[in-house]
Amino acid sequence: MKNWFKLISLIAVIMTGALLIYGTHDMPAWGDPDSPANSHVSPRYILEATKLTATPNMVSAVLADYRSYDTLGESAVIFTASISCLFLLRRIRREKKGEEV
Amino acid sequence: MLEYILAKYNYWIYIVLMMIGLYAMMGKRNLVKKLIGMNIFQTSIILFFVSRGVKKGGATVPILMGDGHGHGEQLIQVADYLNPLPHVLMLTAIVVSIATTGVALATLILIYKRYHTLEEDEIMAIRKEASAYKTLGT
Amino acid sequence: MTDQLPALIIIAPLLGAFLTPVIGWRYRHLCRPWALMVLAVPVYASIASLLRVVKNGAFGYNLAGWAPPWGIEYRIDHLSALMLVLIAVIGLLATINAKAGISLKMRGKEPHFYTLLLLQITGLMGIVITGDLFNIFVFLEISSLSGYGLIAHGEDGAPMATFNYIIIGTIGASFYLLGVGYLYMATGSLNIADLATILPGLYHSKMILVGFAFFTTGVAIKMGLFPLHIWMPDAYTCAPDPASSLIAPLMTKVAAYLLIRIMFTLFQPDFAISIVPVATVLGWMAVIAIIVGGIKALAQTDIKRMVTYIMVAEVGYIVLGISVMNRAGLTGAILHIINDACMIFCLFLVIGAISYKGHGREIYHFQNLNKKMPYTMAAFVIVALSVCGIPPTCGFFSKWYLILGTIASKQWFFTITLLGSSLVNAVLFFRIIEKAYLAPLDSGAHGNDHSDEVIVRDEAPISMLIPIMITATAIIVLGLFSGKIIAAVIQHAVPAIF
Repeated sequence: MKNWFKLISLIAVIMTGALLIYGTHDMPAWGDPDSPANSHVSPRYILEATKLTATPNMVSAVLADYRSYDTLGESAVIFTASISCLFLLRRIRREKKGEEV
Repeated sequence: MLEYILAKYNYWIYIVLMMIGLYAMMGKRNLVKKLIGMNIFQTSIILFFVSRGVKKGGATVPILMGDGHGHGEQLIQVADYLNPLPHVLMLTAIVVSIATTGVALATLILIYKRYHTLEEDEIMAIRKEASAYKTLGT
Repeated sequence: MTDQLPALIIIAPLLGAFLTPVIGWRYRHLCRPWALMVLAVPVYASIASLLRVVKNGAFGYNLAGWAPPWGIEYRIDHLSALMLVLIAVIGLLATINAKAGISLKMRGKEPHFYTLLLLQITGLMGIVITGDLFNIFVFLEISSLSGYGLIAHGEDGAPMATFNYIIIGTIGASFYLLGVGYLYMATGSLNIADLATILPGLYHSKMILVGFAFFTTGVAIKMGLFPLHIWMPDAYTCAPDPASSLIAPLMTKVAAYLLIRIMFTLFQPDFAISIVPVATVLGWMAVIAIIVGGIKALAQTDIKRMVTYIMVAEVGYIVLGISVMNRAGLTGAILHIINDACMIFCLFLVIGAISYKGHGREIYHFQNLNKKMPYTMAAFVIVALSVCGIPPTCGFFSKWYLILGTIASKQWFFTITLLGSSLVNAVLFFRIIEKAYLAPLDSGAHGNDHSDEVIVRDEAPISMLIPIMITATAIIVLGLFSGKIIAAVIQHAVPAIF
């Protein structure tokens, strides 16, 4: 039973890997400066970020100004995780103290 | 053939890493090993994204050195600096990965307190026994 | 002021969630009024946005003032506005309902519970309202993480069910992120409207194909489409009742909304028909989901587990409507998203009320429940009629459009499956209704023991009864007004090609 399950997951993993390798056929070469990813949206970030946001670090400029909403969502993710952990684990501490909940 | 592999070998590395992580998540029976597989899987996706931002030909990190207040009149060449967007996206993805690992570990603590084991086979056996006992007593 | 309404929809519950632990630290009983007050803002703002979209058409809102695709934008069109109203109203009703369930099991942890509730609603609304692909990932993770926290606090098998849900859900979200990465690599942009103009020239690229496959698989995992639904029965059965009544109706429907967005707004519809035969594959998966969901639901005696298998079948209906690729089918699918959310919500509320009153959840515990909880069982009957698809409840109209869609595309096996599953649903619900209303008292041979057993009317508390009544009325009202809803809103949400 155990080995059968491992065999199925191995087959699924190989199929997914084959699909991914099939997809790399069209990909631009590594480090190509003219690939679509490097030439559509990001040149304007590089050219204008420091001028318009007065930050020398372009990654900070994009993170805190252009895409600041994503950063707000990321803080909310950390907050959610910490509240979830408190919600789950506080029970154990109280049981150890023997308190009535 | 050789230059085909050389041009894209970074993608094949991350695919291998991702498949190792996926196999660990699905095939292993220990819960902590599944969690580690999840971490490997998410790390390989981050590696894939970050490797997209590289520009060959002497590009450097996307920070303007020297006088950064904008009135230095330096001519900024796009090809001199790396693409900042994948780095931004992956900062968020790293944070999300850590948060998920944290919640999963809290859940593992609860599981251990209840079943006193972390092997999935033994947990399934305990639960099957418990549910059979329950229907017997009804 | 009304220009800034889209921002308020997300900011209000998010800031409310940040402030709830602070308030709850000193005054624990103030958390609930605070949460209700905070949730009134998105309800108002989303209804106002829906009215504005119906009058003027779709509109956008640029966050932080940067124009897309360099900044993030909100994009509210007919489908988004409809989903926003749905999520906001169900969120408010679930918060009203949560008071009784919390006092039973989770006393002392109200601040955390209401915080996670508000964060879940924020995450779901954030997915629906935004027009940027990576933003969807961030809010998907917010709603997933709060869901994990809420579910893990349930009954006996809950931590194990949550761990399985975490593993499988993370695979789904990571596949989604991988799809975003492939699309970004091929085009360089992350904005949905921008990608919709760039992509048609690139349809024969292998990267786009693989990216689309990973998008669809990731969303299917989150949606619970067969065979990726294995996390769903355990997670939703073992969850505590106040939490499952919020998460279960909404999470799968928002994932279905994402599927519609990917297949019809991001990629043109003929991509999914001719270039990659995704529509056929999804159609057959949906049919198998309906059949398997029905069979497994028949085999359950625990009613909460039965409802989760009905949910698997309902997801099959929605994906069936998407996969037939014509106007009637897609209209039926969108209408079914709304109707199904209301139906499943009402079912979970009824089950929560019954559990709160101390009755068990097996079918034989339903005996004589009609006399003990008449209003609750009346609502249950209305929902049962709707799931079976009997007019004038809303379930009939969405099934009608789905059947029209399958006839129009000449898939006779799909039509037969839809009709057959209505029969299965009828069997599922009428055996419960028979137990509750028609089974006689256990008199006869037992004589004296039962002659002085008086059945006391022991109705659910008001805080649970109000949402049940509102939702049951809404099911009938939505059914009666289906034509108006379709003409005003849904008709514009279906792409014009059909």
